[in-house]
Amino acid sequence: MKNLIPENYAVRFIFFLLSFVALYYFLKGLAFAINDNYILTILTYMAINTILALGLNLITGITGQLNLGHAAFMSIGAYTGALLTMKMNMPFGISILAAGIMAALIGVLIGYPILRLTGDYFAITTLGFAEIVRVLFNGMEFTNGAIGISGIPRHTNFSIAWSIAVLVIILMVWLNNSRNGRSYMAIRDNEIAAESMGINTSLFKIQSFAVGSFMGGVGGALLAHQISFIKPDMFGFMKSIELLMMVVMGGLGSIPGTILGASLLTMAPEALRVFADYKYLIYGSLLVVMMIFRPNGILGGVNLRQLLDFSVKKKNIERKNLSN
Amino acid sequence: MGLLELKDTTIKFGGLVAVDSVNLRVNKGAIHALIGPNGAGKSTLFNLITGIYKPTSGNIHFEKKQIDGTPTFKLTSLGIARTFQNIRLFDDLTVADNVKIGTHVRTKQGLLGALTRFPTQNKEEKWITEKVKEELNFMKLYDKKDEFAKNLSYGDQRRLEIARALVSDPKIILLDEPAAGMNPQEKVTLMSLINLIRERGITVFLVEHDMKVVMGISDIVSVLDYGKKIAEGTPTEVKSNEDVIAAYLGAEYLKAHMN
Repeated sequence: MKNLIPENYAVRFIFFLLSFVALYYFLKGLAFAINDNYILTILTYMAINTILALGLNLITGITGQLNLGHAAFMSIGAYTGALLTMKMNMPFGISILAAGIMAALIGVLIGYPILRLTGDYFAITTLGFAEIVRVLFNGMEFTNGAIGISGIPRHTNFSIAWSIAVLVIILMVWLNNSRNGRSYMAIRDNEIAAESMGINTSLFKIQSFAVGSFMGGVGGALLAHQISFIKPDMFGFMKSIELLMMVVMGGLGSIPGTILGASLLTMAPEALRVFADYKYLIYGSLLVVMMIFRPNGILGGVNLRQLLDFSVKKKNIERKNLSN
Repeated sequence: MGLLELKDTTIKFGGLVAVDSVNLRVNKGAIHALIGPNGAGKSTLFNLITGIYKPTSGNIHFEKKQIDGTPTFKLTSLGIARTFQNIRLFDDLTVADNVKIGTHVRTKQGLLGALTRFPTQNKEEKWITEKVKEELNFMKLYDKKDEFAKNLSYGDQRRLEIARALVSDPKIILLDEPAAGMNPQEKVTLMSLINLIRERGITVFLVEHDMKVVMGISDIVSVLDYGKKIAEGTPTEVKSNEDVIAAYLGAEYLKAHMN
């Protein structure tokens, strides 16, 4: 597999770009083959939720800052994207990027004072912040208050959503295996030791908060352009909890786990449509069962790369034994 | 030549004077031990040097530069590394990743590098891997590099902490009770390791309770009692110092046995 990726950076960049275009057209073809709007819509939600959950995973799972207000950044992204597309006729791509940047900027602004708090205090502050954002969107004139914004053009589709999701997944894996990613995890595991290893903990916490919020904003904008209607109530406390549950269920800090959690919790309400009234009842009991049997989440503490490495090593050893 | 100098360093917590106008000089290339009964202020002194506390009065110089009041994370890049009395590892990370984090101050790739994987980023990662391998071999932990830090034995965890501190290329390493909880055999290994660290040109400043370790490796021993420095000298000098014996065993004991 490693030999497939060229050494030269320029060549490698073009290689990635081409494979990305290929991926987009492959997904387009797949959408054509599936040819079922209901399934495609759910799969699109799955991609959007993956992006949102990965952002939250960066803040809560990897940097260890319990964030109970991720939906606020989602709403900031959704409103920014929707207003840019509708009122300023911005191209879709720019709207999404701007939505992410807006969410990241507000993430930095709010993160600067509150990331000095630790643990529960931080969680409560994010909760309060999310409520403030919701109330503001409810009251402001240009966001159309509680009625919300309708008629947002439906630019998001299956292939676009999944292309972005795949890009986000790759970038998250890269980030995780870098100096920055290791610094985030060091802060999560022991802040005092991280500080004494020379890590500027407040700076890195804000950085991770901003990147996570950026992804929240992008996810929100994608969602707005998918359902074509947004209102402040969609981004309340329950939405934040739902996102948190995807991360916790899949495995805090685990990227494959988060993707799994997001996918499962997107599909579950559809599969359990008959029991829709008992949705939160089922969620709740599921969480209780999870906490008892797998407190680290389904894939928590499982390092996929190590698993793969291990199986490869095992095969090599077996091969060696055979040849001896 | 003094690498680290404390001048009249004092810290008060409310009415308690934890460290009371201590003057201390750690010479370059030395193995300097700090001993004293429980609660004498040894760990507080370490925390003062590493910037966790700021002295109430007096100051601390490192390589002729005043460092008191400098935030902890900036001290590491100046060349001060430390380990902790109650082990503080990154539990959910592998041994290799723990040590990789130690290279933080000697590397500089940022968010952009991580997200683009420019050639400079890859080069740096390679350098980090190489450096970590060296350090793990030095500490004899290389075969455990893929294990989670929390699954290591107590002695290995202590050595991993030292490896993590050493990889940041420090000029001085502060070891807070490195032998605590080790068995006699591990202590012997630790003593030879500390000597090897000194041979690399790194000054060692350690707090230790185990007198065999302290007397076996230190060039100079300073003794703290109730926040005050009561004695300093070579291990043999300190061992026969009356104030030191009094601090450890009580003045009455001394009186009874001297007569």
